[in-house]
Amino acid sequence: MSAPHIPNLLSMSRGGGGLRGRRGRGGPRLPPAAEGHSDASSRFHDKAIQGTDSDAAVSRYSAVSLGYLDDQFAQYFVNGQATRRLPIINRGTYTRTTALDTLVDAFISCPKSSPQTPTRQIISLGAGTDTRYFRLRAQNKHHNILYHEFDFPTVIASKFRIIDSNKSVLLGDETLFEKAPSPADHGAETIPEWGLERNIDGQKESRYICHPLDLRDLTKTASLGSFDGLRCGIPTLIISECCLCYLNVNVAHDVIKWFADHIPDLGIALYEPIGTEDSFGQMMVSNLAARGVVMPTVREYKTLGDQRERLSQLGFGDGQEAKDVERVWQEWVSAEEKERVDGLEGLDEVEEWVMLAKHYGLVWGWRGVGFECWKGLSG
Amino acid sequence: MVKDLDKAIAQLRACRPIPEAQVRELCHKARELLIEEGNVVTVTAPVTICGDIHGQFHDLMELFRVGGDVPDTNYLFMGDFVDRGFYSLESFLLLLCLKVRYPDRMTLIRGNHESRQITTVYGFYDECLRKYGSANVWRYCCEVFDYLALGAIVLGASSNLQPASETSTGTQSKNNVTSTREYNEADIEIEVLNAEGDILHRFPRKKGQANNVIQRSPNKSSSPVKTGPPGSGASGSSGGSVGNSSGAVLCVHGGLSPLIDTVDKIRLLDRKQEVPHEGAMCDLLWSDPDEIEGWGLSPRGAGFLFGADIVTTFNHNNDLSMIARAHQLVMEGFKEMFDNSIVTVWSAPNYCYRCGNVAAILELGEDGGVENLRSNGDAGRSNGASSVLAFRDKERVPGPARRYRVFQAAPQDSRGMPAKKPVADYFL
Ligand SMILES: C[S@@+](CC[C@H](N)C(=O)[O-])C[C@H]1O[C@@H](n2cnc3c(N)ncnc32)[C@H](O)[C@@H]1O
Repeated sequence: MSAPHIPNLLSMSRGGGGLRGRRGRGGPRLPPAAEGHSDASSRFHDKAIQGTDSDAAVSRYSAVSLGYLDDQFAQYFVNGQATRRLPIINRGTYTRTTALDTLVDAFISCPKSSPQTPTRQIISLGAGTDTRYFRLRAQNKHHNILYHEFDFPTVIASKFRIIDSNKSVLLGDETLFEKAPSPADHGAETIPEWGLERNIDGQKESRYICHPLDLRDLTKTASLGSFDGLRCGIPTLIISECCLCYLNVNVAHDVIKWFADHIPDLGIALYEPIGTEDSFGQMMVSNLAARGVVMPTVREYKTLGDQRERLSQLGFGDGQEAKDVERVWQEWVSAEEKERVDGLEGLDEVEEWVMLAKHYGLVWGWRGVGFECWKGLSG
Repeated sequence: MVKDLDKAIAQLRACRPIPEAQVRELCHKARELLIEEGNVVTVTAPVTICGDIHGQFHDLMELFRVGGDVPDTNYLFMGDFVDRGFYSLESFLLLLCLKVRYPDRMTLIRGNHESRQITTVYGFYDECLRKYGSANVWRYCCEVFDYLALGAIVLGASSNLQPASETSTGTQSKNNVTSTREYNEADIEIEVLNAEGDILHRFPRKKGQANNVIQRSPNKSSSPVKTGPPGSGASGSSGGSVGNSSGAVLCVHGGLSPLIDTVDKIRLLDRKQEVPHEGAMCDLLWSDPDEIEGWGLSPRGAGFLFGADIVTTFNHNNDLSMIARAHQLVMEGFKEMFDNSIVTVWSAPNYCYRCGNVAAILELGEDGGVENLRSNGDAGRSNGASSVLAFRDKERVPGPARRYRVFQAAPQDSRGMPAKKPVADYFL
């Protein structure tokens, strides 16, 4: 009973599509890939990648304003109009934040192994407008930690401006400092490292430092000393919350390796998309590609098992664990918390939630001292 | 009047909204029509049953291309016309116009998204506000939602598969039963076709059994019963002379309710209201079948989960051979469960521009033995299904032969329709 007078757009647009053809909607026009090509295309790509941060900030604020997350700082990091995300996205943002909070909280609550302070270091790669440091401070959990953030210079600069113009809420009892750019940097429009410092025993100490850097250039940096305040002698946690997934596989590998080569007691927590083999995953890849967002590691590490193997190869020999976000929701969110969150908006799109949540993974691994509290967390 | 309607239909088909005053008038007419319908509308086969649309207008056009245009094809839409997609307004108004224009060829029943509360969260409210600058149109539409039927009973569906017609005129020539196919279609219980009408799979009915069980997913290409070269469709059309009548098919958006043990109890509900948070009416729109025994709590926070035993008992007590429902995304477009006693039909391909799924519609052919019972009133009321099937043994009535047409998402940027580049949300 087909209606022959209605034209078949699918066959018109791509010469007859089989049932299993993957590109609905006429097929996204893929932008040129990010490696080895014209400046224009890589600038387009970089812009798109930097844009993912606003997306994350908007999602975070949406989840906060609806009561999923408690984060009084999120509002300062979105510009323009607040957008209300759909319930599944809010739940996902909530679960992702909870996932990393769980690992971070366990890490910073491990009994300290040496008398020196700070006792723990956190390095957030591609931190963007993440508010985790401010949340830790508001919860009084920040005293013994040294917190670093890395991101593109433009992103780091805009984060500075946001803090500078909202000092009363964002500074707490700390002060903002900017480090003079090193002479080696002159010429380029350099953005200085900056951070927050506070008085500790009458001394000004910085415990939150932001480093403007295209991580793809990290391995060109000879030593740890090129980054203000970065230490190698204390247990350190690297966080990549949807950051390394945008780098080429070998570059992402080299970035982690660079830290691993310098810091003996090291843990890592990765949050990234997984499972692009099925049709949902395929659609995710092509939808994001249409926006200029390419995620090379997703193609390389297809399963949680691949991700664990990845960490094992990078030398996180004392443990590698992984679970998808759906399991994080099931296993790391308490029954009361689930009930509270469910009650906020309701969630009609259950199948969609499960599918979406199974396409994001949390992977963590460690070696050396400082990660004893991770042992109780099942993967 | 008809001329105005046809104009509105043409405009909506081009995905252009109609003026607010016209929406008001349309909604008013629709309500006058719907108020005459019982809670459970009786529909006579042949009929094409469709699941969720969710404002995916371009895909709705693809559905009409694949399933046939109105009024050539008799349609039954099982709700969730709005929310999520970008063109809820155009999709719903077009369906409503078609309903008013061809009331006997178009049946619309209510989904859980046809509700004031849900549409304010999932997009339809915002869309109306954006497109008209006020919430008036949303309000008119919500008033129509309150009058939509809660379910439908399909009678007179044939238990034998009739040739798929691929007439180039789009109209059916009756009594022309020349099939050029070599196989005996009478033995086929389920046929799956792609958008072009090529056969993807065929499943013969097991002898001596009302329904057979499909163990594998019908869309897996592992050894399907494939007969005849693609496109070798019959040139004839669904004739009324072959086939046996099958049991009745109940269509609802979600599923069953622990408060409802007979179809007649659905008829007694007072439906003309916002979808309540609990109770029978809520359950019909919200529940899901699941691999459990008895009833279970729904993760959706409304409605229930129900197991195979519940469906078996309900179908048996109500002389139903099958339940058709929508509500749940299924990646292959349709999914039969519980020994083929219930099917989920999903008609929004690449749902939310993100899920990568295909969509399906379900065609039930006519058996020819039943007079056209479709009426706006309560034809078949209280004795509806059973009167036709009274002669059958009470064990299990044969299921209707099912023809599924599976289709993919249509490209958005063509047909001269305004298109917004879909941006699906991910966690970035
Ligand atoms: C999706 S955002 C995530 C932001 C933050 N981690 C969060 O979860 O809210 C990805 C971030 O990674 C940063 N990023 C991506 N590639 C980078 C690179 N090569 N060097 C530095 N930062 C990068 C982007 O600028 C962006 O801020």
